[in-house]
Amino acid sequence: MEGDTKKAHRQKQAGPKAEKKKVKKKHEQELTPQQRNPKAFAIQHARKTLRIVQRNQDLKTKKQHIPLVDRTPVEEPPIVVGVVGPPKVGKTTLLKCVVKNFTRQKLSKIQGPVTVVSGKSRRLTLIECNNDINAMIDVAKIADLVLMLVDASFGFEMETFEFLNICQVHGFPRIMGVLTHLDSFKDNKQMRKTKKRLKHRFWTEVYQGAKLFYLSGMVNGEYQKTEVHNLCRFISVMKFRPLQWRITHPYVVADRMEDITDPELVRINPKCDRKVSLYGYVRGTHLKNNIEIHIPGCGDFKINDMQFLSDPCPTPDREKRRSLNAKERLIYSPMSGVGGIVYDKDAVYIDLGGSHSHKETEDSKPANQFVSSLLSMTNPIDEKITRSEVSLFSHSAPPTDCYADDRSEEDAGPNVQSSEVKLQRRAVFGDSDDEKMENESDDESDERQSISDQAEESDEGIQMDFEPPQKKKRTKKNTVDKENELPFADSDDDLEKDVQLFSSQTHDRIRGESQQVKTRSDFKEQVSSEEKEEEEEVNSEDGSSEGEEEVNSEEGENEEDVVVEEYVQNSDGNEVSKVFNSDDSNDSTDDEKMEDFVSSKAKSKQNGEKTKQRNLKDHNTEEIISMSDKHVDPNKKKINVSHQSLFQSVDAYEEDINSEENLDSDDDNEDESDSEERMEEDREEDGDFDQGDDMEEDLEDDAEEGHLKWKSNLTEMAAESFRRRQRERINYRKLIYGQGDEEEKKKEQDEEEDAELGGLFRVLMNKSEKNRMDRGAVGDPNGTDCSLFPVDKVRNWQLEDVQDLIKDCFVTGKWDSSEDARARLQDDDEQYGDFENLETGEIHKASTAETGDLMGEEDMEDSEVEEEETKDGDTKEENIEKKKKKEMTAGERRLEKKRKLKEMFDQVYDMKGDTEFYDNWKAEAEEQARLNKAEFENLADDIRVQYEGFRPGMYVRVEVNTVPCEFVTNFDPTYPVILGGLLNNEGNVGYVQTRLKKHRWHKRILKTKNPVVISLGWRRFQTLPLYSIQDHNLRNRLLKYTPEHLHCHASFWGPITPQGTGLLAVECVAGTTQNFRIAATGVVLELDKSMQILKKLRLTGTPLKIYRKTAFIQGMFNSALEVAKFEGANIRTVSGIRGQIKKAIKSPEGAFRATFEDKILLSDIVFVRTWYPVEVPAFYNPVTTLLLPPKEKTAWMGMKTTGQLRRERGMKFEQKKDSVYKPIERTGRKFTPLVIPKDLQKVLPFKDTPKFLKPRKDPIKRVVVVREPHEAKVAKLMHMVKTMHEHKRKMEKMQMIERATKHQKEMEKINARKSEKQKEVKKQIFRVLGQMEKKKKKHVAD
Amino acid sequence: MGDQNNLVYIGSNYFRQRLVLATLSGKSVKIKQIRNRDDNPGLKEFEASLIRLLDKITNGSKIVVSVTGTSIHYQPGLLLGGQIEHDCSQERGIGYYLEALICLAPFCKRPLHVTLRGITNNQQDPSVDMIKLSTLPVLKRFLGTDDGLDLKVSKRGASPDGGGEIVFTCPCRQKLRPLLFTDPGKVKRIRGIAWCVRVSPAIANRLVDSARSILNQFLPDIYIYTDHEKGIRSGRSPGFGLTLVAETTNGAFLAAEAVSNPKGSEKGPSVPEDLGKEAACQLMEEIYRGGCVDSNSQSTVAVLMVLGQQDVSKVQLGQLSPYTIQYLRHIKDFLQVIFKVDVQTREEEDLRLGGDKLLLTCVGVGYSNVSKPIS
Repeated sequence: MEGDTKKAHRQKQAGPKAEKKKVKKKHEQELTPQQRNPKAFAIQHARKTLRIVQRNQDLKTKKQHIPLVDRTPVEEPPIVVGVVGPPKVGKTTLLKCVVKNFTRQKLSKIQGPVTVVSGKSRRLTLIECNNDINAMIDVAKIADLVLMLVDASFGFEMETFEFLNICQVHGFPRIMGVLTHLDSFKDNKQMRKTKKRLKHRFWTEVYQGAKLFYLSGMVNGEYQKTEVHNLCRFISVMKFRPLQWRITHPYVVADRMEDITDPELVRINPKCDRKVSLYGYVRGTHLKNNIEIHIPGCGDFKINDMQFLSDPCPTPDREKRRSLNAKERLIYSPMSGVGGIVYDKDAVYIDLGGSHSHKETEDSKPANQFVSSLLSMTNPIDEKITRSEVSLFSHSAPPTDCYADDRSEEDAGPNVQSSEVKLQRRAVFGDSDDEKMENESDDESDERQSISDQAEESDEGIQMDFEPPQKKKRTKKNTVDKENELPFADSDDDLEKDVQLFSSQTHDRIRGESQQVKTRSDFKEQVSSEEKEEEEEVNSEDGSSEGEEEVNSEEGENEEDVVVEEYVQNSDGNEVSKVFNSDDSNDSTDDEKMEDFVSSKAKSKQNGEKTKQRNLKDHNTEEIISMSDKHVDPNKKKINVSHQSLFQSVDAYEEDINSEENLDSDDDNEDESDSEERMEEDREEDGDFDQGDDMEEDLEDDAEEGHLKWKSNLTEMAAESFRRRQRERINYRKLIYGQGDEEEKKKEQDEEEDAELGGLFRVLMNKSEKNRMDRGAVGDPNGTDCSLFPVDKVRNWQLEDVQDLIKDCFVTGKWDSSEDARARLQDDDEQYGDFENLETGEIHKASTAETGDLMGEEDMEDSEVEEEETKDGDTKEENIEKKKKKEMTAGERRLEKKRKLKEMFDQVYDMKGDTEFYDNWKAEAEEQARLNKAEFENLADDIRVQYEGFRPGMYVRVEVNTVPCEFVTNFDPTYPVILGGLLNNEGNVGYVQTRLKKHRWHKRILKTKNPVVISLGWRRFQTLPLYSIQDHNLRNRLLKYTPEHLHCHASFWGPITPQGTGLLAVECVAGTTQNFRIAATGVVLELDKSMQILKKLRLTGTPLKIYRKTAFIQGMFNSALEVAKFEGANIRTVSGIRGQIKKAIKSPEGAFRATFEDKILLSDIVFVRTWYPVEVPAFYNPVTTLLLPPKEKTAWMGMKTTGQLRRERGMKFEQKKDSVYKPIERTGRKFTPLVIPKDLQKVLPFKDTPKFLKPRKDPIKRVVVVREPHEAKVAKLMHMVKTMHEHKRKMEKMQMIERATKHQKEMEKINARKSEKQKEVKKQIFRVLGQMEKKKKKHVAD
Repeated sequence: MGDQNNLVYIGSNYFRQRLVLATLSGKSVKIKQIRNRDDNPGLKEFEASLIRLLDKITNGSKIVVSVTGTSIHYQPGLLLGGQIEHDCSQERGIGYYLEALICLAPFCKRPLHVTLRGITNNQQDPSVDMIKLSTLPVLKRFLGTDDGLDLKVSKRGASPDGGGEIVFTCPCRQKLRPLLFTDPGKVKRIRGIAWCVRVSPAIANRLVDSARSILNQFLPDIYIYTDHEKGIRSGRSPGFGLTLVAETTNGAFLAAEAVSNPKGSEKGPSVPEDLGKEAACQLMEEIYRGGCVDSNSQSTVAVLMVLGQQDVSKVQLGQLSPYTIQYLRHIKDFLQVIFKVDVQTREEEDLRLGGDKLLLTCVGVGYSNVSKPIS
């Protein structure tokens, strides 16, 4: 058997043999199970398959959302994180911990929103919500993420649920639960159980699987670091979905408030309306200037002015690093005292750390009584004098008028001027604010401080008039400005402005004033505007000069000399603009040299061409020299003169350049005059040209790459600019919107007001009309209103030349190369013409010429190919290929064409899966989003803002006028200040119809016309809703109370808010109650200016007289007239007999004849059903919690219900007698006995006759018991024993009661003693506790 | 509330724009000094008629006209829509009223179904035919579909006595779609209506022939309908005219028209041949101006663009008419929107496409119809 045992064959796993096999046995693609076993996958149960398919489709469709246009900004605003929870749950601690985690900084006191950088592209604004339902509502409206703190040792509180419900109404933000106080659990199991219970409850409220964090315990008064860190990580990766209200409404969560009212006005009248500026990030959508806003808790306002500032808390650069460094961990919280600076409502405080706590001493008050009386004076003496009337003669009018008039005129001058100054300031906000921030941050020396003060003053428009000397200076300067301006009052040239600025600059310097900052900011503007212009013109020196000037402006006081020197130096260089740029260039000689070099270069280049203008220029230089001389002596007038000359020279120079560029000088002048606009356009253009590069970058590049660049293609550039200008001869922006549109409007308004005063001001009126005319040839204000746009001069379209103008507008004309069918075909061939025949391995190439879009051309082409063949026969291969192509042409080309056609057809008509519709929709939305982002991307921010508004993510300063003074005086940073933007129409009020449901947790149902506080949109307001329900015939029937568990309609007078907006109602916002406060929730259905709600009204009457089917009814109406109104109305009796009102009868008054379908009873009540329209009371009362003093903030009352008023005044409701329910008495019915007449009885058979029997006597008679003597004895004894026993029991009971009472008394005594003792102990404990608390307080206060 | 929203204007010009924009934006407007120095001061009949029409389609509007009629205060209500009949003034054509209605119609509570009576065709205003041919296609782009959008001329009435009647229906929308229409394409066909009332039917043919003589030089695809009305459908005065529209490959419609002098005018009766040629020339001028929208509909387009969602809308236009320019200004006043106006740069300079084309770009204000109820 040994021979049988063969070794089994083992395949080679490695080695050359195995390799060989591997090559041989190439892995072939495995069949799918479906391919291997098709039967198993065949449809066996049609029904089942249908269901599977349906289900799959359902699942697929469920995943789809309606495609929305993505409007999220490129740079998102900080995410608002609201920290919410009942009191004493650890909100502040958590907030501090989170801030510390992100910034490594410990905040001592947090007030108002805190903005921190949480990641490379994310910032957070943390807001703590206090325990006021008003604040809770406001926070729910703005929070993107809510950290909901829950005291685990206590469980959920009402506030938690209330807040969740508020959130549900106002768009559900992301909610994260945080359980605190977990360390109070002694038992681990108990804790786990509680956690689980709370988690599941939380899930039912939010959603299954909502994140719930556990903060296990405190270490040194803080939560554990790792836990907080984890929480923060979750926060910083959280994703958000857009909420409908917020993506359609712009809003700002103000993190800083400043009162910028004129302090003088406040002094005169402390209750005057304030002017307030608020700062914050724009969120939601684009916020436009001058729109209406609503500040919840304060009211509606119009934005007076708005600027964007540099981001105080920018996201770090997008570098490829994982973590942030310390520099990038920014925190911005102006009201919390970060970095020792606290921004208050009207001042900036520096936190000195407590040791130098500043106490108000006697010194701070004015020492002299006289001085103090002067300070408290409301109007100055001179004004008093003007007002005082002294009559010279007894019957004459007091001669004060003319004088007063003079004065008023004088006053008007500086007023206008001040507005001028303000306007100038407006343009510089972009840069100046940075400086301001800087200035505020460094406050080392007094000098600096004063500078920053001035800067602030000039920037913000705060009129610091209480400093008399300064004021004087200012006015002085203003007058100078004014004088400067006068000569050029007719034109709005930007250059001229430069000149002005320049003048003020030099002037200031001469005066030795340190107005450095202001000039710097002005200068920047000047430089920038100049730069742009320059670039337009020659694109030369500005780049190099820019850097210089920045250095210069930071340089100090000894510039004056330099200036003079410079002028002298430059006098040989005949360029005014050069002088302009270098007017205060410093001593850095390198730069000077470079500049000189540049200028000389330019000169040399230009000299050859402009010999003609030499004279003029020389003249200019002379003037400049003279000017520079004059500069030395501080005589204003002379400076003025020099300015004029300078200006002229500038003008002349420009003209020169223009003429050089072969431009029509008049056209150009026009262009020059709107330099601002041009500047903008240029920027746009540049954006177009170099695709996304910033203008500034360009300039810098220029500066860096050197000055040789400009001269390389000077002529081309000139030509280019000329062409550009030719193209844009009309500046549409200016044409349409005018130049200083707002200024003009203001002026106009002023004038109009003047005109309103009386018919005397006709001259002014004319001026304004003229202005209008100037704004663009629009026609006179009373012209005909017609949209037709007639052609000035109709061309003769029969002429060949004229026809040529529009030849290509028709399909018969020439097409664009991208559209031209012929060109495109050619393109196609070039692209797709090549193909490789896989079978034969031949490669076909498209011929460069048209390959025959017409079959008729084939032959010709073939001949061409043959010709080619004969021409160059050396390249054989090519020829072969061509031949192949030629061979192919006959059949295959046709096939090819068919294939292409089919593709095209498929593209258009085939279903691209079942999601085609959805996909197209989505693609459309995406395309729109892309366009939205790309359209204004290349524009500068200040222009972009005008087109699309301030986009979300910008940090803005919003100025609001006429804010009630209480907003400022009672400002409390713990309450969020929201500027909610209102869309069109939303500022109006009207009737709002909503679908509403009483909240199931609210204890009481709501009564019609009882005041409730409604939160709708941004607003919180009190109103009187009417509840109604819609009948089947669409009638709104009034309900006296809301249904218990049903939806009903609520109609009220309130702000117009878009349909579909959620709302919630609270019965009272004041105080706190045990109960759930949210009374109802709902949604807006319809808005209107009138509303019809009908109340059911039943009129009842009683029959007066009844005939067969006719009856006279009385008591329903009072007069025949009323009856006449209801003739033909349907009536009904209680028993259900229907009828109709016919006609009034004469008497009694108000009675009528009616017919019924049956005879009615006299006891029937007849009624008619009528509908009576009810008015919705026009009551709209915004809740003004922000205006209340801090103590009363939670006690806003508004209108009270009658019930409340009665309770307060102790008045009892007098019930009507009819309304009182009486006990129902149901007396038994007495029936009269049935009497059968005797005659009848006789006839009746016996069984039917009534039988009257005599009552029978008692059959059983009682017998007296006679006992035997022995029996009697026994009975007597027994009786005695019984009595004895009873007596004994009685006595025992009495004794027991006595004992018990005695014992009770004793116990009471003991208890009393005990409680006395306890009281004493408690007293002691509390005393100690109180002392401890006092100490603590003291400690804190210290 | 309300007080801050007051805008003040002077003069009767652009009366329509102000009222329409006030109604749409919910801001109240005060117009003063209306023809205060005229011999005939105050509002004219056609303006009063417009006010009455506005009162009919809105609910809760407050209109206070001063005793002399020289000043008016208008506090708008909400747009109601529904079935409305209105007798327009004989001083202006129905087009005057229709243009105002077209801007308001999409934002009504109920779909608008309005019957206007008056002058359908006159020289002063765009005729109803022209509005139908040029403005409605644009409106359709904003609405998305033309379901329920219709303008029917049931009677034709020439000036001065009118007697025409039209029925305009327009569906209402919650939101308008953004418009992106920057390439009009090329004119592929020209259509037109030659109408005549109370004159010989041959006049219509004469109009067609003369117009064709010019148009045929540009394009072969021309068809002009003749519309001769009789009896009650022909209004009360004689007249004739020609409305032409050029349709482009991308669905832009450029319209132009010419209308005969009204009966008893100083210029005397018009000659059909001249009128036909005039209409053709006007159309050519319109094509020369070009753009995706013709000059009559520019203003409507601008308003509807602004009233869109917060998306960028872009349209190419020809030269801006003064009326449009003023409209843009008013839009800025009422809705705080500024248009970006660029001259379109051409890629290929050698194409002969007429005058400069402008690109108007704006961001919608996120306007939504607050009148339309939801269920």
